[in-house]
Parts: sequence; C-alpha cells; structure tokens
Amino acid sequence: PLPGAVWFGLAPPSPLCGRSLAHSKMAAPLWGRGLTAAPWTRGAFSWFLPCRRAIQTTAVCHKNRAARVRVGKGDKPVTYEQAHPPHYIAHRKGWLSLHTSNLDGEGGAAECTVEDVFIRKFIYGTFHGCLANEIVLKRRANVLVVCAVFLQRLPPYKFYFLVGYTETLLSFLYKCPVRLEVQTLPERVIYKYL
Amino acid sequence: MAVDQDWSNVYPTAAAFNPSSVPLPIRMGYPVKRGVPPPKEGNLELIKIPNFLHLTPPAIKKHCTALKDFCTEWPTVLDSDEKCEQHFPIEIETVDYVSAGLSVRNPKARVVTLRVKLSKLNLDDHAKKKLIKLVGERYCKDTDMLTITTDRCPLRRQNYDYGMYLLTVLYHESWKTEMWENEKTEADMEEYIWENSPSQKNALDTLLRIRAAEKTTEVTREELLASGIVENYKTSVVALKNEGETENNVLQYKESVMKLLNLQALQ
Repeated sequence: PLPGAVWFGLAPPSPLCGRSLAHSKMAAPLWGRGLTAAPWTRGAFSWFLPCRRAIQTTAVCHKNRAARVRVGKGDKPVTYEQAHPPHYIAHRKGWLSLHTSNLDGEGGAAECTVEDVFIRKFIYGTFHGCLANEIVLKRRANVLVVCAVFLQRLPPYKFYFLVGYTETLLSFLYKCPVRLEVQTLPERVIYKYL
Repeated sequence: MAVDQDWSNVYPTAAAFNPSSVPLPIRMGYPVKRGVPPPKEGNLELIKIPNFLHLTPPAIKKHCTALKDFCTEWPTVLDSDEKCEQHFPIEIETVDYVSAGLSVRNPKARVVTLRVKLSKLNLDDHAKKKLIKLVGERYCKDTDMLTITTDRCPLRRQNYDYGMYLLTVLYHESWKTEMWENEKTEADMEEYIWENSPSQKNALDTLLRIRAAEKTTEVTREELLASGIVENYKTSVVALKNEGETENNVLQYKESVMKLLNLQALQ
C-alpha cells in the first residue's frame, strides 16, 4: 500500500514533530518544520526519504577562512603575500594600496576603494596569466601609480602595447594621470611550500 | 651600474623600488624557518613602502640651487623676535591642506586667525576697557592677546578681509563714547576702585570718630585721605579685591589695619 494513504488521518509517532527533537540523533539543536510539512500531510513526501529542513538557533563559530591558504602536503608553492594571513598586516606585511583617505578628517575612502578594486580586476584581465603577485597602488597628489610585477610570458612589444593601453584607458576613466611601473621576472618568487 | 653615475638621474622623481636599478643587496620580509629574509628580486614589500631614493643630499642640493634664483634675502633689520613684533604687530594664521586625490579644494582651508597684542594698539583707559567688553572671550588677560577667528566666508581672502574689518571697527568703536555709557554701574566695573566706595567711607568715619573720642586736634577728611596710613590701607584693600587672596596680600592688609587702628601694642 502507499505510505501516504496508511498514515492519513492518524498522527504518527515521528520524531519530527515539535519538541521531541531533543531525543533525535543530531547533537546541535535544530527545530524541524513541525506539523506544516509532516510526511503524512502531502502524498509527495515519502516517510522513508531523509528530507529534513532545519534552522540553526545558536551562535555559529566557523574557522576563519579569510585570505588564508590552507596547509597541504607540502607541494603547494606560495608567495610571501599569500603565505601571510591578514592578521600579519602591519606586522610582517605592508599595505597594497596607499592613499590619504583613511586619515582623520579626510574623505573619499569609499571612492578610493572602489577604484582600487576595479583597477585590480582590470589589470588581472588585461595581463591575463602574466601577474606574478598582487598589484600595489599608490596615490601621490594627482597621480595614480600602479606598480606591477609580471612574468615574462609575453614578448616585450606586447607588454609595451598593453601598458600604454592600460595607462591611456585608466587615465580617461579616472580623469587623472595613471602611471604603470612595471617589473618583470622569469618566474614567480616562491616564499615557501605549504 | 657605473660607479660614477649620477644617482639623481636614476631616481629623478619619486618612483617605486626597482631591484635592477638599485645596486644594493637589500633583503626584506619575515624569514622562513632557518632561512633569511627574501631577496630584492620580485619582493613586493620593497615596492609597497614609500622610498626616499629620489631625495639624497646631492639631489636636495640641486633642488636648492635651482630654487635660489626665485628667493630673496631675509631683511637684516629684522634679526630678533621683538623687532618683528614691533614692525608687524598683527599675526595672521592660515592652514593649507594637502591630500591625494583629484581635488585641491578643502573647506577647512578657509579659516583665518588674527592675533594682536592690545598694548600695540593706541588705546586709552576707557577705550581698552570698552574693547575688552566688546570682544569678550576672544581676549586673553595673561598674554594681553586678542584672537579673532573668522570662517564665515567661503574663501580665505574674504575671511582675512572680514577679520581686518572687524579689528578696524572694534578700534574705532572703542574710542567713541556713547550716551548710555554714563549709566555704568558698580556691577559693570572691571576692577575695584577705592574712591567713593563703602570701604573708604567706613575707614574715614572710623578714624574721625576715634579722633573725636580722644579729643585730639580736629582733622578734616581731606587730610585724613592724604595721610600715609589711609593710603597704605587703600593699596592693601585694592590689591586684595583685584588680585584675590594671596599670602602677601593678606599680610599687607593685616599690617595696614593694625597701623590704621593703632594696634601695634597687641603684637
């Protein structure tokens, strides 16, 4: 017989309803959806399928995953920038973006940050696969200086064209002189293997 | 790099660190365990920090020699602070703000502060008191300095003109005497004046009654006023009221009262 038809009209002794969840197998307190979605109300739900939706009611405490490269088998090459998580900024790392907007009484921090994000994405895409490390942005009076370290994956004349293209386009976009200071390396500088 | 190359040609302006241009064996960064700090090739930390490779002493000398043509000598007459104060009594203070960005404008740059010592202005007693009453909090008694801060106009030059206008108006107004200034009461007085005060009346009355009781020679009020004992008492009372109670003032008052009432014997 169909499971739905058997239980129609009767309240089954299911651990899904109300407070009896305390006796369930799960350690974390989860409240089930209660009587509105009990398996006997709709024929589509099968009693035997493990369909359960619940919400977390206590504080969540996950591990911090921001800008961290997880330790592996020892074969993952990692640069100095990637190897140090954010709590080492101002202790072992400097800042990637330097401007005066974060000083006391100065404004424009949000605009600067949005510009920074756009420029990073733009250069990542224009010089795709050639970036050895993160880009350093410096704002000096009117000028925006972009310091980038590239790998020698393209012939030099292509690099020169892309640099000129970036400078012109960004100057027109941000209405200020944009200077790209470029260094090239034969391969990425590895700090350690994780 | 050649040893005799001019360094100010390698770094003429502020630029990021370039490991191939700088011939120094610099290392920067936290060392790996049992290792050394990373070398300068591809070192992002060296690029991140601002460097002063464009400001070596020979480069600064070159900047100074280039700027010398546009400079004039300091006037030899103004060789001390007092002379500067004597010739230029009004001090103007303005602040310029520099920041990285597209705009040079900063609304905080319009504030202008004017400072002048009242002793340098040509004021008589009434004018000085009236000016101090007019400016109120802007006058500091300890340094005798009047400070006017203007920021109500949008431009610095307008604020400066307004400040100078305020100073001119204050000066001229304090010299004028209005009709209603005759109604100045004792509560409006800035300092204590002994003439025609209750203290004077009481002292003279007491002395006259003492003289009358002892039946000595009759002395008039004017003679009493001119005598040294009453002058002494007057100076001590004025000092107490104007300067407050200090050790010296109170002792002086005690001395003068004893002399006044002839209480020497009670020492």
